[in-house]
Amino acid sequence: MLTGIQEGKALGPVVKHITQEKINLYAEASGDFNPIHVDESFAAKTPLGGTIAHGMLGLAYVSETMTSAFGESWLSGGRLRAKFRESARPGDTLTITGGIFCIEQKSDVLYANCSFECRNQKGETIITGEATVRLPSGRE
Amino acid sequence: MPDKTISYEELAPGYKFPPATYELSDSFVSKYLKAVDAAGDGFVPPLAITACAIATMTKSVPLPPGTIAIHASQELEFLKPVPIGTTIECHIGVAQKIARGKMSMLVLELEILDKGREKVQSGRATVALPV
Repeated sequence: MLTGIQEGKALGPVVKHITQEKINLYAEASGDFNPIHVDESFAAKTPLGGTIAHGMLGLAYVSETMTSAFGESWLSGGRLRAKFRESARPGDTLTITGGIFCIEQKSDVLYANCSFECRNQKGETIITGEATVRLPSGRE
Repeated sequence: MPDKTISYEELAPGYKFPPATYELSDSFVSKYLKAVDAAGDGFVPPLAITACAIATMTKSVPLPPGTIAIHASQELEFLKPVPIGTTIECHIGVAQKIARGKMSMLVLELEILDKGREKVQSGRATVALPV
């Protein structure tokens, strides 16, 4: 049973520090060894000037924020649309925040419509997006 | 895992990558949770499943050396919780390929099924590459 789910509720913050070690671990777990993520000498010679975190690593933090708020409802009735605005880099601290901006009913089912964003320590926007969660009937 | 590759130039709307099967084992989930610095809740994190689907594509399309592919956007829908130990099948197709100046945008559709052929996740990924 979900509690406290109402319009205006804040989501997060979830705060994560990015390191090259974490990027390398993500590459191993996901199988995505694109050199822009894991090869520091290659990445230094590109216009990006250094390695960047996988976009999906930042999005995993967004999903963690949603799971914290909605539990199993996120896993069985969650939808998201995300845009990767900037790259996260080793040394960055990412903060994921969001909020429920509307709860609406469609065909006897309640949905929580949310927005989220991920920013680095400089306030730069890394990811923005919206998410919808189908809420269980009989929620408190 | 995909056992054959295709060049980026050969990709066209309608192309379907060979389906890839992954076992979402306890060791895979543990490794993923360590990478994303999160605690487990008994289910496979949905983004871990997406990561498998995206790997299906990246392993099938070797990019020319020096090419940087940028993940521009992602849409996802999670349809059911996936217990650890589940085997999934990832289906990916090319929905659109759009040239924009010196960049090319590849729009991919993802569909992930469990062993019972039930859809557990679907989505759309947009990847930008230099032409």
